[in-house]
Amino acid sequence: MPRIIIDGLEIEVPQGTKVIDAAERLGIMIPRFCYLKSLGAVGACRMCAVTFLQGPFKGVQMSCMIDVQDGMSVSTTHEEAVAFRKQVIEWLMLNHPHDCPVCDEGGQCLLQDETVSGGHGIRRYRGKKRTYRNQYLGVFIAHEMNRCIHCYRCSRFYQEYCGYRDLGVLQMADRVYFGRFEDGQLESPFSGNLVDLCPTGVYTDIPARHKVRSWDLNRSPSLCIHCSLGCNTVANARHRTVWRVEGRFNEALGSEFICDRGRFGFGHTNHPIRPRRAKEGSSFVSLKDAMKSAAEKLRHIHATFGAQAIACLGSARNSLETQTTLRSFCEGLRLPEPHFFVNPHVKKKVCGAVARLDERVAVSLNQVAHADFVLAVGTDPLNEAPMLALAMRQAQRQGASLVVLDPRPSFLPAPHVHMGVAPEALNGVLGGLVRKAMEPGERENTALRSRGFLQSLPGEPFFRAFSDEQEKVDAVLSGLKKSRNPVLVCGTEVVRESTPSLCADLALLLKEVKGRCGLFYVLPGANAFGSALLSGSGESTFLDVIQSMERGFTKALVLVESDPFVHFPHQERLREAMKKLELLVVLDHLPSLPVQTSQVFLPTSTLFEVDSTFISQEGRVQWSRAVHEGGIPMEQWTGGTHPPRVHSTVIPGRDFRACGEILKEMARIVGGKGKVFLPDPWSFLERGPSAPEAPSRGNRPADGKRLIPRESSPELFPLQEGHFTLREETEHAFELLVVEAVFGTEELSAHSPAMEKWEWEPHMWMHEQDAFELGFSQDEVIGMDLDGGTLEVKLKVCPAMARGVLVLPRHHRLQWQKFSDFSMRVPHDCMRKS
Amino acid sequence: MCPQVLFSNRKPGRIATMEEYRQSGGYKALSLVVGKWTGKDVCAEVQKANLRGRGGAGFPTGLKWLGVPQEGAYPRYIAANCDEMEPGTFKDRILVHADPHMILEGMVLSAYATGAEKGFIFVRPSYESGARILEREIQRARDAGYLGRNILGTDFSFHIVVHRSGGRYICGEATALLNALQGNRPNPIRPPPYPTVKGLWGRPTVVNNIETMANVPHILRNGAEWYQGLSRSSGSPGTKLFCVSGRVNRPGCFELPMGTTLREIIEEHAGGLPPGCQFKACLPGGASTRFLTSEHLDVAMDFESLAAIGHRMGTAAIIVFDHKTCLVEVTLNLTRFFARESCGWCTPCREGLPYLGDLLRRIEAGEGEEEFIPMIRTMCGHLWNAYCALAPGAASPVESLLTNFEDEVREHIRQRKCPCKA
Amino acid sequence: MAYADLLPGEMRRKLAQKIAESETAREQAIDVMTILQGHFGYMSDEAMLAASELLAMTPLELEELATFYNFIYRQPVGEHVIHVCDSAICWMHGHESLLDHLLSRLEIRLGETTEDGLFTVLPVCCLGYCDHAPAMLVDRRIHGELTREKIDRILTKLIEESHSLPGRK
Ligand SMILES: Cc1cc2nc3c(=O)[nH]c(=O)nc-3n(C[C@H](O)[C@H](O)[C@H](O)COP(=O)(O)O)c2cc1C
Ligand code: SF4
Ligand code: SF4
Ligand code: SF4
Ligand code: FES
Repeated sequence: MPRIIIDGLEIEVPQGTKVIDAAERLGIMIPRFCYLKSLGAVGACRMCAVTFLQGPFKGVQMSCMIDVQDGMSVSTTHEEAVAFRKQVIEWLMLNHPHDCPVCDEGGQCLLQDETVSGGHGIRRYRGKKRTYRNQYLGVFIAHEMNRCIHCYRCSRFYQEYCGYRDLGVLQMADRVYFGRFEDGQLESPFSGNLVDLCPTGVYTDIPARHKVRSWDLNRSPSLCIHCSLGCNTVANARHRTVWRVEGRFNEALGSEFICDRGRFGFGHTNHPIRPRRAKEGSSFVSLKDAMKSAAEKLRHIHATFGAQAIACLGSARNSLETQTTLRSFCEGLRLPEPHFFVNPHVKKKVCGAVARLDERVAVSLNQVAHADFVLAVGTDPLNEAPMLALAMRQAQRQGASLVVLDPRPSFLPAPHVHMGVAPEALNGVLGGLVRKAMEPGERENTALRSRGFLQSLPGEPFFRAFSDEQEKVDAVLSGLKKSRNPVLVCGTEVVRESTPSLCADLALLLKEVKGRCGLFYVLPGANAFGSALLSGSGESTFLDVIQSMERGFTKALVLVESDPFVHFPHQERLREAMKKLELLVVLDHLPSLPVQTSQVFLPTSTLFEVDSTFISQEGRVQWSRAVHEGGIPMEQWTGGTHPPRVHSTVIPGRDFRACGEILKEMARIVGGKGKVFLPDPWSFLERGPSAPEAPSRGNRPADGKRLIPRESSPELFPLQEGHFTLREETEHAFELLVVEAVFGTEELSAHSPAMEKWEWEPHMWMHEQDAFELGFSQDEVIGMDLDGGTLEVKLKVCPAMARGVLVLPRHHRLQWQKFSDFSMRVPHDCMRKS
Repeated sequence: MCPQVLFSNRKPGRIATMEEYRQSGGYKALSLVVGKWTGKDVCAEVQKANLRGRGGAGFPTGLKWLGVPQEGAYPRYIAANCDEMEPGTFKDRILVHADPHMILEGMVLSAYATGAEKGFIFVRPSYESGARILEREIQRARDAGYLGRNILGTDFSFHIVVHRSGGRYICGEATALLNALQGNRPNPIRPPPYPTVKGLWGRPTVVNNIETMANVPHILRNGAEWYQGLSRSSGSPGTKLFCVSGRVNRPGCFELPMGTTLREIIEEHAGGLPPGCQFKACLPGGASTRFLTSEHLDVAMDFESLAAIGHRMGTAAIIVFDHKTCLVEVTLNLTRFFARESCGWCTPCREGLPYLGDLLRRIEAGEGEEEFIPMIRTMCGHLWNAYCALAPGAASPVESLLTNFEDEVREHIRQRKCPCKA
Repeated sequence: MAYADLLPGEMRRKLAQKIAESETAREQAIDVMTILQGHFGYMSDEAMLAASELLAMTPLELEELATFYNFIYRQPVGEHVIHVCDSAICWMHGHESLLDHLLSRLEIRLGETTEDGLFTVLPVCCLGYCDHAPAMLVDRRIHGELTREKIDRILTKLIEESHSLPGRK
């Protein structure tokens, strides 16, 4: 490892480290504009000049362009470098408008900082300033081109890093312009990062624009809870309003970037329709009274019908605190174990995935970005976990091949092989590919047990569907054969129950052969991992609860930040079942359907109002800090005027508490003093024989801590009957897959005003050939007569997706829940044009 | 008359035909070399001849070719630079109109030397006629078996296409040219990696000026020693195409031995200055070189001699200014040119050049201040830290204006007007 | 290919072939735009969209190139585009007064198009005809050793030619 001396301090850095980064490690922040580690160096701004005193380079050079070599000595304060940097700042300020007082970047603007630190304070240039015309870039981001200093970060991020092609560099010389061909919504769902990475205020965040000054904001390290990746963020709040969310670097996630769902999805916390006041029946009461009443009602049911008459449902959007408290709540009151999944299949898949993830194979998002082969199975990275798509793109940019086996159309913004495989064929195709890619030598060298497993993997029949796509299959096989560092990415929504564990088996097998193989699950929800850990071992599912409600056994239902209507396939049935309840208690901060019918409603805090913990899909425990107390946003409270004219000693709309706190309080009341034992939340996580030590309050590493065992289940390769069977071709029915979309499907972000402006029409995808055979075509509205009524939706056809499936994004405004069961079959003869 | 090599077939108003080229020894080098020499031999001979690039930087051509890694990927490419947008330079145009096959043969040989299979000639829009000539002659050479598949019946194949530029000075810079060719924005890319390692579509690519290319057949046919003997100087062999323009009686392009004195070129070949005009200064190698004053008129025009007096050969385009021409105004014109043609990638050039232009304009318009002079000086120094060589090139005339004609500049400021204007 | 369909079939075929013969489609961007520009008069938005379809580039990617170069016109230009060299040598040889003459004859300012849509005058950097300074390019044809009379002759000829075209007075 080469050593360098910077300003008299010596440091050893890994080969390939840029001088600018070596300096940063020493705590010396060399000014820069164009350089961003994740984007690489391009030497455009010339701001990072330092003087090289010794070594292969001499004189003023750009520290971002030069790798550290032995024998280098560098001065960042040498007069030549300082004079040059001062000149660069003067140049950059020639045309920059002096609109800092009204610029949203003000106070957190790199240009302001470097202008001050560069010592450029007096204007010498007498020429006119250049001006540009701005463009409309859509609902998220405002454009103010006059502020641009031409660092090229935005175009490089947008095109090279993300792979989108509608924002770039126009013109030349001193007229260079960053924008689009014409006004219009930016196509990239990662566009919000432009706000963070632009060193000046060209791109500003529309929801926060002209609302607040950056130095007035409360800022706290937060998390994104809009998918299972758990990207790290910074939350910004003031005036009881969360204004803005920014990305935050996390080594394990590999970047400081987040997707637009994560950035603009926070609006539910400020939303005027957020239920903020406790309710008993239809009247508002104080939270204290509501808790008491709910507890008493529960105690009554407990006493009258027994503990078994009470059911609790949490969800994957619960924080770990909520989940563990709910678990203790049930345990302490001897209630049945709480449920966290509405769909029993999903429960099985997530629990299966979580059970199989261990240190031998688990990889972080950053490791996905460094794989040389990524095989994604039954997942749609862009829509289910957007930043995963970007990580895969980074791998591809460094030479990895990407393969997606998934029934849906694929929108991955990177060159990849997509095979439209129906859910029931996924196991077979996947297993077959791995088997075929194994060289004879490798086959023999595997341990006996793995060899048996290998031999049991299916062969040809699963490729028959791809006979006209032989090139694709060959490309996948050659990529997998060559790979030394493959990663299997496995979804848990559209796949069969056995797929997650098959992926784990295959990952272990590949690891045995190649020495290395990663496994990366995509889970449904920010804390789906926690949901699985806390689901308990019981076989019972939420479907049993519904049946029990229907039969009148379950009398009370406690919904803990969960809305069963989102995932239950038959809305009418659920509604009827819930009518039979004697008591419905809802704890939530979202205006869900059950809030309206609850006997008691207890408002809870959002992520931004209470410190909370979430476990991401790779088992990484991460912490988020509250950014403010909450309460009705000032703008709504005062009707837009500021400062408020009405004063009070309590925070308006602040009569809510963290979900876990409410549960504890209720447990205390229900159980009576001293009777209820509430175990420490962490104790649940530490129960398993091989579970690692849980982090304590005092030990919270910045990048989180991965909470997975060294080795998971000892029963390797438990191949089961039916793993590799194909559906009968005679069945004249589609399988409907209800899936995620980047925007508009995820529960929390769907309630965000910024997101609501991103309008798209509900639609359903069908394979071109299927559509042709049924006489349907693009953009026709298709009616489906189902058990629960008629579902009408616009059709989109696609030549590159699985046959025999319908893909329906779970649009929050589309009422699709009309199916008799979770298998969601749509017979051909119930479909028609309408 | 000096020995004419590159212009041996130059005729007034007419293009040498392939037949004429052949009769003068054209395509002999090709049959001598192809299938008989190794590529490395060719590189070695060119290096022995010490051929230096004619595009402006004067990099040894043999060395450049040897920079293509032996194990480098295929296909490999040749890019012949006929962008020629340096003000004062028009030799490439004359060469194309004189003897296009010499360029083509040079390209085929460079391809043979480096294992390339496709070549591009990058032509600026105002040379549309040149582009057409080249396209026509490429077809003829192909029909004659000098180009295309299985050249001269060997298993060596090489194709040439003409690529028309959209027109920008920066496209002539080697790495920007490669970007332009690929249909990317023509921003330069600072090496390493060098184009010979990673050029067009990530493959090894040799970029040479077309005049450089045209020298190659002669070197291979007549040998390195013969080539060295053409020159009047020891370090820079061969002949050179000198363009003379500006205040001279016979502006034009002359093929003269390297090392011919500047005075001889201007006074004898270009016919001296018109009556009533006295020599004030010249730019010896195009717009991005320094003003050279009469004290250096006897300098030998070759790479070393010019370097020794702090000047650059550049494109050997000599622009002559007489005593009545305001050099502040000339410099302002040049600075505006560079500012307008900046690719806009890096700060010094994109912002610094318009700033310099503004200061010069004010001086010329009589709005100058004394403090502008040190400002300009420092700023020019900083331009050398730009991303590519355009900005340092732009700084050169400005710097030398202040070095050699500071009094003239101060006079503008003192009189609050241009003293050269009535 | 909604916009590319607007092109004459023959031109479309030729362009498609040109693109197919090159290493990558993008490589042909300038040529394709130059040809379409010849057809449409300038690179209108429609022309840009047609070109981007042929080249499998997004309109933005093509715009990144179109707006870089001197000889791609993204705004309407006259039938004849005159690029007058304003670099050092032509300037020394009286570029300014010749330009003034040209503009006053056409009654436009630099960068403008004559009312009859016949001429647009644009500045251009050194054309590489310094030995024939002052020089200008009319529709990519060079005219050197310019004088006022020569400019008048060139203009008169072009005006006459256009009047003799059918459909013009
Ligand atoms: C701004 C700039 C413009 C250039 N323009 C040209 C040009 O028009 N023609 C040319 O041959 N070289 C030009 N060059 C030099 C090329 O970068 C490159 O050195 C040359 O083409 C290499 O060929 P050679 O080694 O045969 O000279 C230019 C360089 C710079 C920095
Ligand atoms: S818009 Fe911002 S990020 Fe883009 S080049 Fe300008 S200053 Fe840089
Ligand atoms: S990828 Fe997922 S966790 Fe990351 S910002 Fe987007 S929604 Fe949030
Ligand atoms: S100096 Fe910078 S801006 Fe100028 S042409 Fe070179 S790279 Fe472009
Ligand atoms: S940060 Fe190094 S040149 Fe911009």
